[in-house]
Amino acid sequence: MDVIGKSVIRKDALEKVTGTARYTNDYMFKGSLHAKIVVSPYAHARIQAIDVQAASTIPGVHAVVTGEHLPLTGEGVRDRRPLAFEKVRYHGEAVVLVVAENPALAERAASAVHIQYEPLPVVHSPSAAIEPNSPLVHENMHTYKHDETVYPEPGSNVANRVKIRKGNMEEGWRKSELVVEETFSLSPSDHAAMETRSAAAEILPNGVVKITTSSQAPFMVKKLISEYFGIEAGKVVVETPLVGGGYGGKAAVQLELLAYLASKAVGGRLVRILNTREEDMLTSPVHIGLDAKIKLGCSKEGILQAADILYLFDSGAYADKGTDLSKAAAADCTGPYRLEHIFCDSLCVYTNHPYASPFRGFSHSELLFAFERTMDILAKKADIDPLEFREKNAILPGDTTPTQVRLTSSSVGNLPECIRRLKRLIRWEEGQRMVHENGLITAKGISCVWKTSTIETNAGSGVILTFNPDGSVNLMSGVIELGTGTKTVLAQILAEKLQMRVERIHVRMEVDTQTTPEHWKTVASRGTFMAGRAVLEAAEDVINQLKKIASCIFRASEEDIEIKNEKVFLRDEPETSLKFKEIVYGYKYPNGNAIGGQIIGRGNYILRGMTYLDKETGAGRPGPEWTVAAEGVEVEYNPRTYRYRIVKAISVIDIGTVLNEKMARGQVMGAMSMGLSFAGRETFWFDSNGRILNPQLRKYRPLRYGEHPEYVVDFVHTPQLDAAYGARGVGEHGLLGMPASLGNSLTAAAETELNQLPLIPELIWRMKEGNTDDFV
Amino acid sequence: MISFDFEYYKPATVSEAVALFQELENQGKQPRYYAGGTEVLTLGRLGLFVTHAVIDIKNTPEFQQTDANEDWMIFGAGVTLTELEDKNLFPLLSKSASEVADHTARNKITLGGNICGHIFYREAVLPLLLADSQLAVAGPAGTNIYSIHDLFNRRLQLKNGELLVQVFVETKYAALPYMSIKERQQWDTGYPLVTIAALKTEGTIRVAFSGVCSFPFRSAEIEEMLNHKETPLEARIQTALEYIPAPILNDGEGSDRYRKFVIKNLLFDIFTELGGT
Repeated sequence: MDVIGKSVIRKDALEKVTGTARYTNDYMFKGSLHAKIVVSPYAHARIQAIDVQAASTIPGVHAVVTGEHLPLTGEGVRDRRPLAFEKVRYHGEAVVLVVAENPALAERAASAVHIQYEPLPVVHSPSAAIEPNSPLVHENMHTYKHDETVYPEPGSNVANRVKIRKGNMEEGWRKSELVVEETFSLSPSDHAAMETRSAAAEILPNGVVKITTSSQAPFMVKKLISEYFGIEAGKVVVETPLVGGGYGGKAAVQLELLAYLASKAVGGRLVRILNTREEDMLTSPVHIGLDAKIKLGCSKEGILQAADILYLFDSGAYADKGTDLSKAAAADCTGPYRLEHIFCDSLCVYTNHPYASPFRGFSHSELLFAFERTMDILAKKADIDPLEFREKNAILPGDTTPTQVRLTSSSVGNLPECIRRLKRLIRWEEGQRMVHENGLITAKGISCVWKTSTIETNAGSGVILTFNPDGSVNLMSGVIELGTGTKTVLAQILAEKLQMRVERIHVRMEVDTQTTPEHWKTVASRGTFMAGRAVLEAAEDVINQLKKIASCIFRASEEDIEIKNEKVFLRDEPETSLKFKEIVYGYKYPNGNAIGGQIIGRGNYILRGMTYLDKETGAGRPGPEWTVAAEGVEVEYNPRTYRYRIVKAISVIDIGTVLNEKMARGQVMGAMSMGLSFAGRETFWFDSNGRILNPQLRKYRPLRYGEHPEYVVDFVHTPQLDAAYGARGVGEHGLLGMPASLGNSLTAAAETELNQLPLIPELIWRMKEGNTDDFV
Repeated sequence: MISFDFEYYKPATVSEAVALFQELENQGKQPRYYAGGTEVLTLGRLGLFVTHAVIDIKNTPEFQQTDANEDWMIFGAGVTLTELEDKNLFPLLSKSASEVADHTARNKITLGGNICGHIFYREAVLPLLLADSQLAVAGPAGTNIYSIHDLFNRRLQLKNGELLVQVFVETKYAALPYMSIKERQQWDTGYPLVTIAALKTEGTIRVAFSGVCSFPFRSAEIEEMLNHKETPLEARIQTALEYIPAPILNDGEGSDRYRKFVIKNLLFDIFTELGGT
């Protein structure tokens, strides 16, 4: 293989390092108006009156929009108006939209809108939300439309309940000589992508709605705007240029709706809306929180027997992707272990927090924090080394998952090998906890992770290839370039298949839903898998077309023709050849006759064999493959101050095939740093009224340079047979085990069970000194 | 984005600036002196700060002066925190200043701005309190010199239109043993959970605090308790805590009880390190 595995420089590298890359808000639109949101200062309140008089009479203000006549929107459940009506359900919720001549005017007008509220009791956590006497976030849940595979429970705060019933619990507990039961919690937080969300919309005289947006899901924007507002699908055109980081936060459709409504309110004129950092953190959807309760049992030999799991996902004020997040967590609820008896309820619960969107890992780092902490606690109780305990119970080909999928080597890879390598890399034989002469303690924590995608069963991806007159190729895919380098990897896959130089493949970075073939959404580590397959099919299509024409020109069978280095030639007489450029726009005979014509390649991929999960047992096939990994963290801890430093973070991932070495490592390291950041520091702090105290980067602090540990990345190579060149999804997996590994290392260091995130020194202090009563 | 309009003035001298302030004030423009501009930007965009005229004083000569002779060190209020670090005339001040915000912001934040700003940590004032500094303040009636202890109570008590121009610190303080520790909620970035600056002079350790209350302070009672050598250090610290001049902060950075724990540890470390046990 010539191109696969090579650290090809990203196709978007030069424009990014020189600062010339353009993102949604960098495109200057002449004559555009600007929209500004008025947000709720309350977490839960009745809207008594909205006075827009003063705002709308300011010269230069074109429109003031309120929620009254807007449709209900939302992906899992139609429960959310784009602007709140009658009541607000979270601090930061959009209530009024102002459209004005320029951003400053819009802001002035927004502050001139007066809204009267009557505060309501606040639902502070999913655990509180499922109490029988809890206030309801949605009183009219029974009237909401929802997906067929979502199961809301009207009269409560439960927007979805996914059940896993596998094996026989009675038998499981009978075989469990050792049982532990633990609770865990983590609050919502943010994605904190560098680019805040932005969108622009205009409605042309012919009724075409044009949206430009920083989105991971432009095709979903198109579909939903068409559905919500009754617009013919072909008349919605969505464009997405480069995206400055998404992490799942830009997979939700939110700001686009406001941009559309703003444009509609001003007769279709072009309107732009750009989130401030505060709006991006408060108003747009956030990283989901979780309360969890896990009861786990094993035999005295340390073989896992039974798990009883309750996941309460804090979906916040609206369900949206929270229903899918709770489903994905149910599908992989135990971590990558052989477990015959499982009872799990995974709930999507309404609270008065900001509502959730996916976050890199799609609920897995959260559930794995709970489950992998429980694994350590059970190992301790069984007096078994935690690494050995995981090795003993590691899931293998032939085992079944919680949703009863029987695994193969291709679908699950090789977890035991990941564990063995981690053992060596983290120098496990030195011991998990070491006390040094200076009083500091180094400690190690490990975890195992897995993830499959639980995206729609018919999700697909399409690719179109065209040629340039010089024989080079243009690659068009609906994958969004949001920093992952996927489009460069697609070029590598194509170069490998066509046996040509990757530099000769031109990748279109921007996506528009009218001319770019659809890629379902750029989420779930699915870009390379689905679009990769589509590229292979498109390449095959091109090869067939080239061979067909060449067979006519060479008067030879297609079977005798080969392709390499932009040439088509006879296998046994390579000198009988034609350059791509001589045939891709038709072949011209010396007398002027032409045949063939422009070659256009097309390819697509649709997920195969996916099924819905059974409502009562959860049985079903959610995704094509699982990527497994073993991860670890080493900390240096000061037992006097409870402060610590992360020394090293390790990920050993079964990646199948590495398509681009440096980019794969970059993805994994970036994911690890994100996981440590969220585990160690990132969270929203809520006050007693449910208001967020830190919706700003000065108080909400992702990991900065200088705070990073040493990152170690290693790969195991068990090919996924149905993927392009055997490569597995790897965009998220470095993150998944970081919270649990950090929790396990600090628990070992501090010798107290740490079951909450973020793992700040104050938490350790509270656990050590018994000050647990008033933790905010 | 700042949604209000404001006029911009750049007078050449401090006296012009002070006169201009009065004039703009009389016109109802709520004038503000402008140096680094970090708070004008960050608070202005949130609507927490409004002005209709800014007077840019950072390039007036007195403002930029940084100098030292045998007796005095002079720090212009317009010197940025990174310049303070680079020149390093007063190591304790350099250390305290170097932990404020981040490097990019410190390229803009000035000594005067940090001390007079709205954000209440104002950590650059701690060394100045410890070194019994003198402050040159310009007003309508000319420039006066005050002891920092007469002018600083929770914040610099300037009258509207008055302007901190320079800070004078006796050169002897530059050579004294010192410590400055800033603990955050987690790791190395963020506002202080607790910052303590300390300076040892003639066997006595002076301490000043930020992040403990909603203002920085130095307390005579606390220093007296802490330097009471007949009592064991732990007991001294315990007693000193009773003299904290206002409720301890209880916010998103940390609870009051945890802050107390951190203060105790830091004081213990400082007194152990500086030989005050």
